Amino acid sequence: MAVCSAYTTQSLNSTCSISTPAKTHLGFHQKEVVFYRRSSKRGGSGSSSGPCVITCSAGDSQTVVIGLAADSGCGKSTFMRRLTSVFGGAAEPPKGGNPDSNTLISDMTTVICLDDYHSLDRTGRKEKGVTALDPRANDFDLMYEQVKAIKSGVAVDKPIYNHVTGLLDPPELIKPPKILVIEGLHPMFDERVRDLLDFSIYLDISNEVKFAWKIQRDMAERGHSLESIKASIEARKPDFDAYIDPQKKYADAVIEVLPTQLIPDDNEGKVLRVRLIMKEGVKHFSPVYLFDEGSTISWIPCGRKLTCSYPGIKFHYGPDTYFGNEVSILEMDGQFDRLDELIYVESHLSNISTKFYGEVTQQMLKHADFPGSNNGTGLFQTIVGLKIRDLYEQITSSKTAAPLEATKA
Amino acid sequence: MATLRFNSLTGTLEKNSTSFFSSNPRLCWAYFQCNNKGERRASRMTVKAMGAAKYKGTQMREKKLTEMIEKKVTEAKQVCEGDETSDECKVAWDEVEEVSQAKADLRLRLEIEKKDPLESFCQENPETEECKIYED
Repeated sequence: MAVCSAYTTQSLNSTCSISTPAKTHLGFHQKEVVFYRRSSKRGGSGSSSGPCVITCSAGDSQTVVIGLAADSGCGKSTFMRRLTSVFGGAAEPPKGGNPDSNTLISDMTTVICLDDYHSLDRTGRKEKGVTALDPRANDFDLMYEQVKAIKSGVAVDKPIYNHVTGLLDPPELIKPPKILVIEGLHPMFDERVRDLLDFSIYLDISNEVKFAWKIQRDMAERGHSLESIKASIEARKPDFDAYIDPQKKYADAVIEVLPTQLIPDDNEGKVLRVRLIMKEGVKHFSPVYLFDEGSTISWIPCGRKLTCSYPGIKFHYGPDTYFGNEVSILEMDGQFDRLDELIYVESHLSNISTKFYGEVTQQMLKHADFPGSNNGTGLFQTIVGLKIRDLYEQITSSKTAAPLEATKA
Repeated sequence: MATLRFNSLTGTLEKNSTSFFSSNPRLCWAYFQCNNKGERRASRMTVKAMGAAKYKGTQMREKKLTEMIEKKVTEAKQVCEGDETSDECKVAWDEVEEVSQAKADLRLRLEIEKKDPLESFCQENPETEECKIYED
């Protein structure tokens, strides 16, 4: 979708015709459309018969930038997969490039991993005694420059951090996509980068759930034991609390994952209580709500119309404050066992930015094998994906509307 | 018929007992009994062959990551013996986390996406060592 701003010293009432030069023999960029003014008389004195140049900038030269803070590796998380899926198409690593690239590209989105901005590789960090969580291990200047460049439509050569070798590999070319997602440990750490973000999300996993998930992840690995998994989490905790956790106050949406309250003393981390904390007053973002916006609701959908199996499902919605910001919190505890539970819940949620009834359910089913597909993590990640799509559409349509307003005036 | 190759650190492994095969020949569960230096270890290991690993390069990465996890856990334990709050100790466990996550990402990709990460690279560079088809 092209947006054209007309710059001319004369009014456009004179006969101007649009011609797009087929070749750039005149030296024009492809994005420039030249108006030629037909002069009715020969040698008209005084009137300049020069062409009025209109520059068109294609709509996608202003990339929408989303930040996602997560401790779960990057570019490969289920959240990213769900998000790219909402926009259609599957996200793939760049074709033919470095096989250890962390980048994912789909039609609309490019996901870059912020580990690529490590200033110190594994050996360097060992020498200096800093973890990857430490800001000293990351080049925020480069991160800012490159995200800024991509946002304004300029391709960049981004470094690659190879997680297998622990080295920094030669850079790969990143072309500006319609939506850029920067995922990693520090998307909101640097103030300049934070200001570039159109929307930001923080995935806040509680300690108990983190422990349970890492056990599931690592127990089958030779070398790991319960003690080693625990020790690893404990050792990283000080840096995590100091550098990563404070970012959550800047996030527009926080997805908080806690152990369930429905099963006493549950430590398996399978049934989860998930809270979607949404900041109020964010441009182009209207929080999801239950039944009556701004009120406080406790809802158990299971009953006469819907039968659920143990431990059931419990919802909560209400306004709150979070680190000094006005927020709305939507909370789900429990899990979905059947399709009709999911569609029933979807039909009672408002402001979910779906394009058709059942879209949330459809998206969840599409990725039924992803972790979290039967609980609040999958549900809220999908909903946030739809909100981002809505935000993107609002931003791009507002960009085309503004210049049109100017020409009317 | 899928054959499972096992690299064991100590002793030899006898492929024995029952193996259950799913309809996907690459994904099978097998029960092994370890014959370690003449003694029968009764430990039963469940082995799951990674879903779609097709290229040698992916196989090599898997193996490398597995070995690194084990090595780095041992290192971390040693380093932290002196002082658990030291920077060296933090960094050592951070490395363990990094390689554990890298391995998990690879596993996730193979199992859920059922695609070899080297797929597109090997389309362009089929003659490299990494792109030899792993003999199943």
